[in-house]
Amino acid sequence: MANTLRLYLTCIRNTLEAAMCLQNFPCQEVERHNKPEVELKTSPELLLNPVLICRNEAEKCLIETSINSIRISMKVKQADELENILAKKFLRFLSMRAEAFQVLRRKPVQGYDISFLITNYHCEDMHKHKLIDFIVQFMEDIDKEISELKLSVNTRGRLVATEFLKQFI
Amino acid sequence: MILLQSPSRFLLQILQDRVLSGDKGVDIDCHTVEFDDVRYHIQFSMRNPKVMVLSVALPLPPPEAMLYDGLPLGAIEAIKAAYGPVVQILDPPKDGFDLTMKINLTKLPPDEEQRNAVLTQIASVREVVLGAPLKLLLKHLASKTVAPNVDKLVALVHRPNESFFVAPQADKVTVVYPMRFQDSIDIVLATSFLQEFVEARRTSALNNAPSCLWSPVPPLELKGVPSDALNANAGFVTFVVFPRHVEGKKLDKTVWSLLTFHAYVSYHVKCSEGFMHTRMRRRVETLIQALDRAKSDAEKLKKLVNGGSFKRLSLNNDGN
Amino acid sequence: MDAASRPAVVIDNGTGYTKMGFAGNVEPCFITPTVVAVNDTFAGQTRANTTKGNWMAQHSAGVMADLDFFIGEDALARSRSSNTYNLSYPIHNGQVENWDTMERFWQQCIFNYLRCDPEDHYFLLTESPLTPPETREYTGEIMFETFNVPGLYIACQPVLALAAGYTTTKCEMTGVVVDVGDGATHIVPVADGYVIGSSIRSIPITGKDVTQFIQQLLKERGEHIPPEESFDVARRVKEMYCYTCSDIVKEFNKHDREPNKYIKHWSGIKPKTGAKYTCDIGYERFLGPEIFFHPEIYNNDFTTPLHVVIDKCIQSSPIDTRRALYKNIVLSGGSTMFKDFHRRLQRDLKKIVDARVLASNARLGGDAKAQPIEVNVVSHPIQRYAVWFGGSVLASTAEFYEACHTKAEYEEYGASICRTNPVFKGMY
Repeated sequence: MANTLRLYLTCIRNTLEAAMCLQNFPCQEVERHNKPEVELKTSPELLLNPVLICRNEAEKCLIETSINSIRISMKVKQADELENILAKKFLRFLSMRAEAFQVLRRKPVQGYDISFLITNYHCEDMHKHKLIDFIVQFMEDIDKEISELKLSVNTRGRLVATEFLKQFI
Repeated sequence: MILLQSPSRFLLQILQDRVLSGDKGVDIDCHTVEFDDVRYHIQFSMRNPKVMVLSVALPLPPPEAMLYDGLPLGAIEAIKAAYGPVVQILDPPKDGFDLTMKINLTKLPPDEEQRNAVLTQIASVREVVLGAPLKLLLKHLASKTVAPNVDKLVALVHRPNESFFVAPQADKVTVVYPMRFQDSIDIVLATSFLQEFVEARRTSALNNAPSCLWSPVPPLELKGVPSDALNANAGFVTFVVFPRHVEGKKLDKTVWSLLTFHAYVSYHVKCSEGFMHTRMRRRVETLIQALDRAKSDAEKLKKLVNGGSFKRLSLNNDGN
Repeated sequence: MDAASRPAVVIDNGTGYTKMGFAGNVEPCFITPTVVAVNDTFAGQTRANTTKGNWMAQHSAGVMADLDFFIGEDALARSRSSNTYNLSYPIHNGQVENWDTMERFWQQCIFNYLRCDPEDHYFLLTESPLTPPETREYTGEIMFETFNVPGLYIACQPVLALAAGYTTTKCEMTGVVVDVGDGATHIVPVADGYVIGSSIRSIPITGKDVTQFIQQLLKERGEHIPPEESFDVARRVKEMYCYTCSDIVKEFNKHDREPNKYIKHWSGIKPKTGAKYTCDIGYERFLGPEIFFHPEIYNNDFTTPLHVVIDKCIQSSPIDTRRALYKNIVLSGGSTMFKDFHRRLQRDLKKIVDARVLASNARLGGDAKAQPIEVNVVSHPIQRYAVWFGGSVLASTAEFYEACHTKAEYEEYGASICRTNPVFKGMY
């Protein structure tokens, strides 16, 4: 299991390193405007082919690039009902704090659980490889956090039950 | 706080303040609501500062639960036994309430410890009244008998429009809870908690605790119960209580624990959601720190590129 | 019976004290200090330094250790008696700083003190004016996601304090609220239910400062009070014996002329030895509240008296609201309950206002005479928890339930709905 995770992340990292060549590009349609082209998708010559990396049916990652912005959407593994609600809760928590993360998109792309939007301005402010490190770290952390939350729910259930039953002895 | 406490904190506080305040007192007229729709109405009048009128409203019982005169079976006897001359039941109860009592604070025992014990008992009026039928059944279990004139399966009210089921026998009492939750996240968390109850019971340290089972469908004990009392979105929990769990002092604690089982699980589900928030906040902080690391290095890089560290020496020489 | 037919829960979180109770009641059920005592022994340790078996035990303790905490008076008692608990104050200057602690505080308020099921009641929470909208979002997130409340309304404290002054005939939604609490003092002008944000003034003199000043005076005079009790004794002296005088010099003379009438005695028992001690309370009785009118006797940095700050605040508000603001100055907060506080404030403020009107009339030389400005400082017996009472009054109107944000709206639109809390019909 762990093997495929490493392969999956390495593949994502390589794709990002290749795809993240962003430069400033003022909007073609409206004067003096500068918009992330990957969100608008109006001019096909500015967009690259989107790349979909699938770990299995449940987990996949869609990377769409354009000349001045790149959008990364992730679908997180949700094995059972409990993981489903924990993932939903955690991702909603993160989305609310999207301002603080700068590269996080407030609403995920349709069909995915969480999305990032990186523009050329972010690349100018931050090191490209550090940014990619951050994104990959983020993905790993989400998975880790959800499994830790699941473990804590189970542990807590055990403790709650123990305390309750202890009263009768 | 891990276990739910029996006395109502607010009632206890008001009683203790009034006892300590001597003969002066102001009019008080307030309403409070506790979990599971138990409402209290507390009144003090300046004319009798040492007499409190307490009205209690109980959760609305579902059609299958037994209530005599609006109160659970054995409630009036239980009140008389627990409080003695301090409390006088007023009949009929105030409009909108199921029970009205007049509590005479001058009749409390003079010794401070005994007095506090009586006040705590008065503040636990909910346990006395709602728990009366369960206490009756379990008291008979302690003496290894069955209460007379009681059905094989008794429905007792513990939440508004919901009941739990008790099957009393001479050597054990089986208690079955259909568990219902309103929020979809709560349902999933509660189901996993309840399944842990079964796992926890299996550990050797808890061998003497009541045996515990969980099932997603109504167990056999509930055969014959009307189906609308049986819709439970978080499964059914069964406890089997033996005489050793209800002997002597343990009886009251067992009654309270069983009476508030659903509230206990619901409380802990909410606490664990709060704990998850704490974890998530910490995780967000770590991630933001990682992001800041990505940023600050780039800013240092910018400064170097722009030559911020170069000092402009001897401008005069260049001009000349 | 659904949530709208049960009384709403009103919780007023202040920097010093939290007042909580049910709508429709005159008094809050509980008034507790806003403090949490946490057991930090397991929280800070990282998993890297422990072995696997030990980690499970620590993880279990850590997972339940978050339930091992106390709030309010219990917290203060625990932290005094044992070293495992550290005190944490989640609110500073009216703003929530530590969300973890605040969430736990609310958890205990709801489940241990009020003992109500949050899914059954609508909630009215309060906040200081000038809180950032993100704070309201975080509050909404905690309330809707952790506690599953059916409805939430976050009200502004000065607006509720104004609502506390309502009678059946008069509802003034315009006025200046002077909120002197234990941790923060704000002077907030409100016009038609909306706070005039740019005119809010705050001063660094609070109830805690009065207590500290009294403690200082008692120590300087050499009264024999055990040092660990001195703050507590000073606080109780403040609440029982302090009053506001009309003139300091005359008051000093009065005290010197008739000491028996004015000097009170305080007696207590030393906790360590059990011996009795007494001390005299003299000048502190009127010097304590005097720091609001002459801050220089206490604090060298801040020297503007309270009435001057109120005047400046009203002068900086839109000109068409000023008369109405002068007419309705409402006091709220425990530290405004000193005897004659409102009379002294009204007299001092009227002096400044009348002087200004006189000067402007003199400048215009009799051509246009300004109408005299009515200055009215309103005081009523529920000042101590006026904000809570205002909340209780408003949460018992039928329109409140419609003005609340519901859980369904939160699920649909997200936490941003909590940013706005409109003034509703029951308020005016």
